Amino acid sequence: MEMSNKALVAEEIAANPKVESLEMEQFHQKSHFWGRLTMWAVIILSVLLPLYLSFVVGYHPGWGPIVAAFIAYAAMVGYAWVIEPISYYPTLGVSGTYLAFLTGNISNMCLPAAAAAQNTIGAEPGTKKGEITAALAIAAASLVNIVVIAIIIASGSYLISIIPSSVQATFQFVVPAIFGGILAQFAIKNPLYGLIAVITGIVINLTPIIPFFRGIICIAITITICLYLEKVKARKKSVA
Amino acid sequence: MEKALQLANSYPVWIFAAIVIGIVIFQAIVFIRLATRTSQNVGMTKQEVQSALKVGAINAIGPAMASLIIAISLMTFLGNPVTFMRSVVIGSSATESAGANLAATAFGTELGSDGFNEQAYTTIVWTLCLGGLGWLLVTVFFTKSLGKMQEKISSQQGSKRGSLMAIISSAAMLGVFGNFGSAELLKGVTNAVVIITAALFMFILLIIANKFKLNWLKEWSLGFSILAALSVGFFII
Repeated sequence: MEMSNKALVAEEIAANPKVESLEMEQFHQKSHFWGRLTMWAVIILSVLLPLYLSFVVGYHPGWGPIVAAFIAYAAMVGYAWVIEPISYYPTLGVSGTYLAFLTGNISNMCLPAAAAAQNTIGAEPGTKKGEITAALAIAAASLVNIVVIAIIIASGSYLISIIPSSVQATFQFVVPAIFGGILAQFAIKNPLYGLIAVITGIVINLTPIIPFFRGIICIAITITICLYLEKVKARKKSVA
Repeated sequence: MEKALQLANSYPVWIFAAIVIGIVIFQAIVFIRLATRTSQNVGMTKQEVQSALKVGAINAIGPAMASLIIAISLMTFLGNPVTFMRSVVIGSSATESAGANLAATAFGTELGSDGFNEQAYTTIVWTLCLGGLGWLLVTVFFTKSLGKMQEKISSQQGSKRGSLMAIISSAAMLGVFGNFGSAELLKGVTNAVVIITAALFMFILLIIANKFKLNWLKEWSLGFSILAALSVGFFII
């Protein structure tokens, strides 16, 4: 009985490929499920590896240095653990958050890849189409990142020996170049907003705010100004 | 030092690293499949799906290559598997490098010194692995609530609120890059020239691409702009 039911469903799927397609709500549900599952798996392995080195192989350095080093590390990036997932959420969405916070390189790889893909297709961030586009772009970026790192690891110092040092010196410019390119992309779509973001950014970077909070303050101010401008625009429209 | 590297490059460590990297690959493939299956319902064509994947792939090459120098220096201290694992799971090469230094200091030695033994290596692995957990745990615990908050905002007053979310998202993205871009801009003349070159190139390429409807040029625009900016940087320094 069960078998025949399964066969029926299979037939239905074969006859009507639309059965396989997902609604946005289902997409979010499945994103939560697979996102959490993969993240939990990495969390567990991240604890198992040092436990293995300490207590199975037997090279435990003592808890003193571990705690001291961890506190120093937390002092360096601990603020980002909480601030980053929250402040990037509006641009990444559910699926993008799971992808980006597993693979890392969020500001220099995931967000630019998502923004460039949305621009190519003409999808707005924060819309359904925008989120699906971002998920595809970030996932593809994550895979390519792994391939490139694999090549780097496999080639070891050979790669450094064949790339002239003068060329290597330009690698430091990749990240600023990405930011410049993405800002220009936004400025074409909406010059005023682009200008607002850059001015806000410069003002914030020149005021003595603790660097931790610059990002989230800049995001908050830009959102506030843009929302206000949209309100003004809407009011003008309704008057006219 | 040699003994520490032997441990760092041993098979068991490789197995841990391989499984973690495998999970990241698995997750990316799962999300590509899910997003592709949803694409029709949000009005995306097959071509647009291909395009999104292509743009993502193109724009990962630059940042990945940028981590080359730090990754290779990390390899000589941390061995291949842990460098690989920490480079593809949250955390950047720069952060990991700083973390490795902090951990070596906490153990009372230095990276690459004679006193860098298996215990020092283990201290580093503890620090980097636990340090990366912060992001993972916050994401695992809070993404669902953030999603519910977003649903609430977009479901209020139908389409009007939907567009509100779109404005917030676009503005948030602009804020992120406004902050990072300005920080880089203020770092010095060379950086400023590089940023402006990239921006100008992007501007020109996108105008050409929009005018002549060249989709491939749009897909490559950021990549080309980065190359142009690097070339200019090459001649300045």
